Amino acid sequence: MQMVKKFFILLLVLWFAILFFMPKQALYYKLEEALLKYDIKINEKNIEEGLFSLTLHDSKVYVKGIQLATVEKIDFFTLLFYTKVEVHTLLLDESLKNMAPTEIDEVEVTHALWNPLNISVDAQGSFGNVEGDASLMDRHIRLDFNETKNIEMLKGSLKQDEKGWFYETAF
Amino acid sequence: MKQLFKPYIFKNILMLLILLLIVKLVWFVITWIWLPSSGVEHVGQKGGKALYYRVKLTPNESSAPTKPTKLPTQQRGSIDDIILLAIYNAKDVTVITVKHKGKTKVLSRGDDINGFVLENAGRNFATFTKSEKSYKVMLFKGKGKNNNTAQASSSNAPSSASNKPKKVAGEVVDAGDRKLVDRSLVEHYAKNMDDIYKNIGIGELKKDGNLQGFQITFVRKDSPFSKLGVQRGDVIKSVNGQEINSYNAAFGVYKNIGSIDNMTLVIQRGNEEMELEYEIN
Repeated sequence: MQMVKKFFILLLVLWFAILFFMPKQALYYKLEEALLKYDIKINEKNIEEGLFSLTLHDSKVYVKGIQLATVEKIDFFTLLFYTKVEVHTLLLDESLKNMAPTEIDEVEVTHALWNPLNISVDAQGSFGNVEGDASLMDRHIRLDFNETKNIEMLKGSLKQDEKGWFYETAF
Repeated sequence: MKQLFKPYIFKNILMLLILLLIVKLVWFVITWIWLPSSGVEHVGQKGGKALYYRVKLTPNESSAPTKPTKLPTQQRGSIDDIILLAIYNAKDVTVITVKHKGKTKVLSRGDDINGFVLENAGRNFATFTKSEKSYKVMLFKGKGKNNNTAQASSSNAPSSASNKPKKVAGEVVDAGDRKLVDRSLVEHYAKNMDDIYKNIGIGELKKDGNLQGFQITFVRKDSPFSKLGVQRGDVIKSVNGQEINSYNAAFGVYKNIGSIDNMTLVIQRGNEEMELEYEIN
């Protein structure tokens, strides 16, 4: 029993140490490098490192050198077995208003160890509410528009079934 | 001698500290070998010129930019008296024949009739200005038809003259030295980017993996883009002085296209560099 207790204490300390000493900012820079391959750059005003999280404030998102969006806050949170990315107040460039909703209040992307092959997505904005998931096994994304508001500009790329409008793509 | 700590507690604490040290060391090595020390920053283009807006001050060369205002019905009536009978359009000269109050008169650019100054003429219309407002008169096609009535419009208002079903309203008219583009057409394509790519293909032009500019890959026949004078293989060099050598520069033009009255497009066709002039009204 003592051995089991000792093992769990060690495991807990190890888990905590990994999170505590994790170079979160450097890992984020690595993510920036990965995004650069797709011509995506994020310029953030400042980075705040927490015990389990990393927060980017007032970020500007550039795609192929074009500033397409500004994001008030991006939160990365991880417990290793549960990871969440929250995007707060994403404003798309006004020139894209005919192609996409320009204001997204919140996007939440989560991945959990107990559902390792799926990433769930939840978003709210001027378009209403969107829920869906990305299957890592099937390499497939489906997003359901549950409470649709203003999605006229999106309908060209959406499909419809008995549940309502949804977006589907493979990656 | 009495011991201050129980040896097993000391041993456990030491083991935990070693564990913490190992984790710290592992992260340190990972950071040192694999992780970057600074992020990727977007640096704005330096030396890029802002879009310039060409303004022609000579009244017989170009219409002065006017604010979009609604025309009173009174003015509309006065342009109705002018009947456009014939148009002669050459590279340097535009001459039209009009009938006004029973008299026939020949006008060239800058001439006026009943206070309306001839500005330009297309294949089947002539444009006049009066009090900074622009009027379009369609070519008279025969008796009994009402297609020769003048269509008064402000210079920035969309023209519905060529509004055909299933087609985008507006047209591109070759006026010799430049092409006249209906603003409604520009507004439509500014709002519907997908429609652009159905009619014209624009691909990246890369050299050593670096983006050098953009090249036209196809132009759909009978589309408004085919009337712009561009061809497959043309390389877009600049728009109104702004070099188009990045997505940002191209997007800048796209964003401002709604507020442009004149546009100079420089293209490279083969070894030759060409300048195409457009007037949006």
